[in-house]
Amino acid sequence: MSEDTLEIQLPVEGMTCASCVAHVEGALRDVPGVARVAVTLSPGRASLSFDPSRAGLDRLRRAVEEVGYRVPTAEITLEIQGMTCASCVAHVEGALKELPGVQEAVVNLGLGTARLRYIPGLVSSGQMKRAVRNVGYEARERDAGLDALDRERQARQEEIRRQGRNLLIAAAVGLLVMAGTFYDMLGPLKAIVPAWLAEKWVIGLLTTPIVFGPGRQFFTNSWRGLRHGVADMNLLYATGIGAAYGIAVINTLFPRAGFGGEGATFFESAALLTAFIILGRWLEALTRGRTSEAIRKLMRLQPKVARVVRGEAEVEVPADEVEVGDLILVRPGESIAVDGHVQEGYSAVDESMLTGESLPVEKHGGDTVIGGTLNKTGAFKFTATRVGKDTALAQIIKLVEDAQASKAPIQKLADWVAGHFILGVHALAIAVFLFWFFFGYSRFFDPASSFILSPYRLGEIGVFGFSLLLSVTVLVISCPCAVGLATPSAMMAGTGKAAEHGVLFKGAEAIENASHLRTIVFDKTGTLTRGEPSLTDVVSAEAEANEVVRLAAIAERRSEHPLGEAIVRGAVVRGIALGEPESFDSIPGQGIEARVESRLVLLGNRKLMDGRDVLFGSLLSEAERLEHEGKTVMFLAVDGRAFGLIAVADTLKDHAAAAIEKLHELGLEVAMITGDNRRTAEAIARQARIDRVLAEVLPQDKAEEIRKLQAAGRKVAMVGDGVNDAPALAQADVGMAIGSGTDVAKETGHVILIKDDVRDVVVALEVAKATMRKVRQNLFWAFIYNMLGIPIGAGLLYPLFQLVVSPELAGALMAVSSVSVTLNTLLLRRFAPSTRTSSPSHGQRSLTPAPAATSA
Amino acid sequence: MDTDSIDREIARRSLRLYLPISLGAALLFFLAATGGEYPWVARIGGAVWVGILTLIIAMPVVTSWVKRRARGPDRAAGKSASQAGRREPQG
Repeated sequence: MSEDTLEIQLPVEGMTCASCVAHVEGALRDVPGVARVAVTLSPGRASLSFDPSRAGLDRLRRAVEEVGYRVPTAEITLEIQGMTCASCVAHVEGALKELPGVQEAVVNLGLGTARLRYIPGLVSSGQMKRAVRNVGYEARERDAGLDALDRERQARQEEIRRQGRNLLIAAAVGLLVMAGTFYDMLGPLKAIVPAWLAEKWVIGLLTTPIVFGPGRQFFTNSWRGLRHGVADMNLLYATGIGAAYGIAVINTLFPRAGFGGEGATFFESAALLTAFIILGRWLEALTRGRTSEAIRKLMRLQPKVARVVRGEAEVEVPADEVEVGDLILVRPGESIAVDGHVQEGYSAVDESMLTGESLPVEKHGGDTVIGGTLNKTGAFKFTATRVGKDTALAQIIKLVEDAQASKAPIQKLADWVAGHFILGVHALAIAVFLFWFFFGYSRFFDPASSFILSPYRLGEIGVFGFSLLLSVTVLVISCPCAVGLATPSAMMAGTGKAAEHGVLFKGAEAIENASHLRTIVFDKTGTLTRGEPSLTDVVSAEAEANEVVRLAAIAERRSEHPLGEAIVRGAVVRGIALGEPESFDSIPGQGIEARVESRLVLLGNRKLMDGRDVLFGSLLSEAERLEHEGKTVMFLAVDGRAFGLIAVADTLKDHAAAAIEKLHELGLEVAMITGDNRRTAEAIARQARIDRVLAEVLPQDKAEEIRKLQAAGRKVAMVGDGVNDAPALAQADVGMAIGSGTDVAKETGHVILIKDDVRDVVVALEVAKATMRKVRQNLFWAFIYNMLGIPIGAGLLYPLFQLVVSPELAGALMAVSSVSVTLNTLLLRRFAPSTRTSSPSHGQRSLTPAPAATSA
Repeated sequence: MDTDSIDREIARRSLRLYLPISLGAALLFFLAATGGEYPWVARIGGAVWVGILTLIIAMPVVTSWVKRRARGPDRAAGKSASQAGRREPQG
């Protein structure tokens, strides 16, 4: 095929002149296999003729990018219907990746979606949908918001109804088949069961509508797949049901054909296998939607209408028609339609649904309000600032959806195993058939042997029938459905649960990485500490501590220096009434001089006091002690005499020490990184019980420090400000941007903590660990089922115990396996982070050092 | 040559490989079974079953292999993992 050529129109961005055109043309022409290139500046396109066996699209794209231009990509999400297992995921992904122009395709079984990154112009959404349909599934473009939610719910309910109807038929008629098959064992029940029900042809007639009614889906789906070279789970079921039914029909119509005669009519196998598989599908449909309950809750928050003020009138308009700048009225008990700034009025707003903050937040004029939150008490008007896809709620929903649609490394491995597993199973089915046909049957077969959990004897079944039976059982028992569900269902539940607490994971990989962390590095200023100085200690020479604070605060009343403001705040916190200074002078680099209540007040550093010949004598040792603790000490002199000391420092945030204690309990090493001097940094580290201090690190070197920790073989998380610490967040295995508020789209990092609460780091790690625990449990149960089931299904125990697994029992086990995995995942809904369940007062008191007052 | 034509060609080439492989496996089984004292029904039934299972295995493997060769080095790399277990092109 190397003589064939492919013609495409490759979009190119960044070209501004004829020379750019020449560059791009030259770069593309240099790629081996390219026969013809014609680049046009407007509309920025390269017409190419190339040999696909020598030049791939990736190669062409690289060639364009190497000369400084860009091949644009776009994203689309398709809703896929009909996927049931991991092999379906592999088929759909494979079909989409085959399309020229598709750069990436990630299919999520749990969500029933495919997210694609593609080169516009090379492939259309129609081609994508057609490719999915060609391998046996349905596809349509995904809508945003409530429509998607409604459609998804509708589709799920339709699937539940469809499988429920199928189950009802299969179970009801299957019971009759069972009654007929085991008529001789019914005892007193024979009185109500007619004898003709035990006739083979009657059982056959009853089984036929089960196989070709409810069971028809397996045949049609597998046929559609087979036509395109796809072997999926439906094929396993179809061969299993078909083989059992086929043998039963032959043995009924032609008892001497050599397939075991009338003693081996497996009608009940075909009927019950169908019923059990459908039971599994029905239970799966019933439970699967619940793992994505969190995203549904978020979507439900989106209000449908807003009361917009137009002139004097209030007009109710659909929320998606609100425009930026509209003035919106919100009454008590109403939801806020979009994001905005309060213009007038006052109220308390419940933001717990988005931030996890349990207490209502007070809103005054100028405060921001978030769409989707609930107004509690008062009425207010606000101006819309972000609408539609730009609102915080829409961004959060997109982030959670993206995370749920992404794949963790462990899931990629599980999908790969499940995708290849199906071929391995067919190979094993051949091996089992050959073994029992040529060796096993003649050596081990005992006509008195029976199925496990069944009184039914194998009787006069022939070599072909027996070998086929075991071969079919291997196919049915090997279904890797549970393997495919194990990871995505847990990831969906985990990301949703985290979002409920204001913790947004940007991808499944972030969850997996967060569960393996060994070191967590906090940025100091603004992350662990408040980022502004607070009054911490007061030492008085002769008067009361409060008098020292009062005089200092009045003197600093007009100051705009952060240290002065800290003293004024400290006085206010202590309830001290403050007057105005009679005069105020700032002495640059030294402090201030003020007149308070006719007294001359000096407040500043040693240099100021030395210059004014004020002796502090016995207070100097106290000053040194406080400075050793990393605090900034200010000396207060009144009328030329030493009056006291005031110390200020950047203090730990509420809950910081408690959060670090929890991290220690989780077995993590906690480090702090800061540009501050070592003494100040170590003082904070001592209060918070930080294990390792990385001090005097310039902002641009923070990423390098993270790299050094990683080089020592540690998985490192960095917690910091999403803007200033962006390089370090990106370098870390898990970057957590804290206190982002609701403008989540702008945040860097792998995890976004909406609230400015250090405890949410613990929440993130606990959710990640709980999710990965579920993933491991699910994978264990899924694989252990196959590891135990396949050898038993293949007849490994037969030589010893003369027992074989019937196809219907294999089907029942398969259903139990899938459902148990989903139910296990649902247990995550009960997860509550330890920082939310423990007493809030614990630790909080120990974290924020209350201003100490001593008298010298 | 457009994408659909390439896909059709891939399908034809794949068919020419996996069909003989499956028929060959079935024939081998039949011959092996003929060497023993098996009833005709077992020989033919067994050959059909082995043929079907071989076809199911060979179809996606061969199609994927032919596609990799036809579509060039870039697309083949990084796609092989998801392609096993699959698939004949549309058309």
